[in-house]
Amino acid sequence: MAISSYRVIPGPESYLSPAAASMGVVLPEKGEALIEGKIVPEEEAIEKITEKLILAKNPFFFPGPLILWAWNEKAIAKAKAVKELAEAAGAKIIPMPDYRPKYPMINPEEEINPNHPNLTIWHNKIDTCVFVGVHCHYANLALKIIRGGTDCYTIALCGQAGHEDAMITLRDIHSEEVQKLTEVVKRAKGGTPQ
Amino acid sequence: MKKNIATISPGFEDIMPEEYQDLVNDGPYGRGLGIKNLGTFKELIEEHPLCAGCGLALAIRLTAASLPAPEDTIIVGTTGCNSILMPQLAIHNIHSLFGNQSSLAAGLKRALKLRYPDKNKDVVVMAGDGGIADIGLSPTLHTWLRRENLTTIMLDNESYSNTGGQESGMSCEGAVLNMAPTGKKFPKIPMPEIAKDSGCAYVATVSVANARRLGRMVKRAILVAREIGPTYLQIFVPCPTNYKFSTSETLKRAKEREKIMEYISSEAEKLIKEANI
Amino acid sequence: MMERKVVDPEYMFKRAPREKKFLIGNEAVAEAVKRANVDIAIAYPITPQSEATHIVGDIYAEGYIKDYYRGEDEFNVMSAIAGARMGGARTFTATSGPGTLRAFEMFPLWAGARLPVVCAFMCRGVNSPLTIQPDNIEIGWLMDTGMLIFHAENPQEFFDMTLQAYIVAEQPDVHIPIGVCVDGFFVTHTREIVEVTPEDEMLPPYDPSTSPVPIMDMEVPPIRQMRDPFVMKSNYISYNTHASWQQEVRAAGERAKKHIARYVGKFIEVTNPDAEILLIASGTAAAQARVAMEQAREKGMDVGLAKIRVIRPFPEDEVRELAENPRIIIVPEHNIVGWLAREIKSRIDNSGKVRGHPRVFGGMTMPPEFIMEEIVNGRAR
Repeated sequence: MAISSYRVIPGPESYLSPAAASMGVVLPEKGEALIEGKIVPEEEAIEKITEKLILAKNPFFFPGPLILWAWNEKAIAKAKAVKELAEAAGAKIIPMPDYRPKYPMINPEEEINPNHPNLTIWHNKIDTCVFVGVHCHYANLALKIIRGGTDCYTIALCGQAGHEDAMITLRDIHSEEVQKLTEVVKRAKGGTPQ
Repeated sequence: MKKNIATISPGFEDIMPEEYQDLVNDGPYGRGLGIKNLGTFKELIEEHPLCAGCGLALAIRLTAASLPAPEDTIIVGTTGCNSILMPQLAIHNIHSLFGNQSSLAAGLKRALKLRYPDKNKDVVVMAGDGGIADIGLSPTLHTWLRRENLTTIMLDNESYSNTGGQESGMSCEGAVLNMAPTGKKFPKIPMPEIAKDSGCAYVATVSVANARRLGRMVKRAILVAREIGPTYLQIFVPCPTNYKFSTSETLKRAKEREKIMEYISSEAEKLIKEANI
Repeated sequence: MMERKVVDPEYMFKRAPREKKFLIGNEAVAEAVKRANVDIAIAYPITPQSEATHIVGDIYAEGYIKDYYRGEDEFNVMSAIAGARMGGARTFTATSGPGTLRAFEMFPLWAGARLPVVCAFMCRGVNSPLTIQPDNIEIGWLMDTGMLIFHAENPQEFFDMTLQAYIVAEQPDVHIPIGVCVDGFFVTHTREIVEVTPEDEMLPPYDPSTSPVPIMDMEVPPIRQMRDPFVMKSNYISYNTHASWQQEVRAAGERAKKHIARYVGKFIEVTNPDAEILLIASGTAAAQARVAMEQAREKGMDVGLAKIRVIRPFPEDEVRELAENPRIIIVPEHNIVGWLAREIKSRIDNSGKVRGHPRVFGGMTMPPEFIMEEIVNGRAR
């Protein structure tokens, strides 16, 4: 495949943004990650995520149904780890409890919906967000819509193969990997021990 | 019994919107509730965009409150007014296409039997009269003839309501509706009789005005489908929007034209007696 | 039923010992299904695929498949397949020509609902007039459904691609349907040597927990969702969601490319890429084109062949590169519309060099001489 020149960066990008995969952005292999459409070693992306979270003015985590609901032990463990990470990063949390087109409307102060995530981003003036625990299909929809209509920097911590439509994505992220990320964030926040 | 997918992960309880907390703390999963408990628990149905006075919406609300095991029920709908409401139900549900709800449900039920051999997973087809008796008649009959373990619930508003009030096979003879500008030329399709002849072990008709009886029939229909074979329940749900009557008259009209019928096979009779429903 | 073991897919496709059997295409695909660890197969009679699903029924009777039945028609079979997939089961079904058309509304649904269905299409002509004979016009219609399309040339590829399709389709980042197509009769009823993997080895089972959309079993959150595109509201937001949903399905097809390269192999097999005249074909047209190429080269003509194995996702970059050198590109096809020629013309810069001939249809065979005529005419131009 031709090397893509397409960059996955904050918008507002377009009336209708393309899916990054259709612009030639390829998902990372195990041990790799994506930064703005480019494949990098996982460590580099972890550093970049840490930097983005620390420098953000108004970072938010959007935990999705796969961790908000206690449907198995892994979900419970990952939920706990994500909460600790959000706290370490000084980020607020807004849940994505389900995927339905909610009627008559959502309250963007207290929830986010994959069908119109831009409403929550705009309302809360979110400059950096982290998707975690969202089914891949719905995460991709939401990430693309955010890129199309907002200037929010998007990070996806994916339990499967990752998300081209996020500005940074890690893949194969489960509770242990989230804990490791938390340690990195904590160290970075505390500065380098002398 | 607590339903895991309706339990909030520790640490996130306080950030979840109120409706979800209510569903978790006061929902009907695993509690064996029914019509008589309405008003005392958080219902599965949330705000939806169907019309004021909609008989179909009320029937879905009553049916949802009567499911014997909402925690293990999956609903398959089809195109029509029902499909606009369904995503607001706190039950896994599928909008298929128009008319293929029964065949899709058959595939789903068989998959769940394989994957959960030790659990009852109730698959309920809930669709309109056009969806079941017209465009979906073939798979409806064939799932019955094949004796699939499915419950079929028809929400009979005697028209295609979502597409703007066209005549359906379930409209009454003479009814003047879109696509029947000089009145319908043939009588209502005798679905209950067809259901009986096609192998349904339980067939019943009721109207949305008869809540307690409707609730009992839902429980019977699902229990018999789970243990014995296909079942059919036809609920008359008048539509004020397309039949152009006042929204306050829905229940009155339902009552006036209600036909109560219950066919129970001998095998189903035994099961219903044992279960005391 | 013999004791069987689960094996690694790459091992099965690339390194497992192979036994030579003398099989028609319909037997070959059934041999693949037997090794594919299928939960549910659903069948409906139509020539020329029926025999394949008869044999699949026998495999079910022997215990290798957990559930099987004859459905009421193709539309409802494909619907039941969707239901089974939404419930987390691995499925198999097959159809042909008019059956494909009868079922058609389901194919975009399979893709849109992110269902990794594997369906075999044993292509035949459609009415009117009635024909049961080979003609692959249906592939041209399937190309825009969002499904991935493999086009197998012979029983061997039919066997291999069917097994490979399950593994590609079920990747969490792909998770869309794959149609494995062959030209009816020419492949389904032709007996050839097929090298099959050991009978006691099967693919790993489908893992529903990797699905990019929730499985509908009331065991996976969230309870409230929209499994099918958004019919709730009429405004920019809902249209934008629907558009994004469609883009995501196409994106899944793009993501399939690396998995296809890994499990299926080359999208295009090329012989003599630098030739003056390049034949580009798929399915059995490629087999006939190969004979024509060899005859032409014996006569001293400079002819090459590119056999396209994967129609969706279309190997655009490779085709563009291949199209640069030859003076003339000849695309023989087994249908009247010339979907492959159309596809190639729309992807390359100099489409004037593409000759969408010869075409046969309605059951006619494609004699290599007919392709040769085109080569000779092309050279004279």
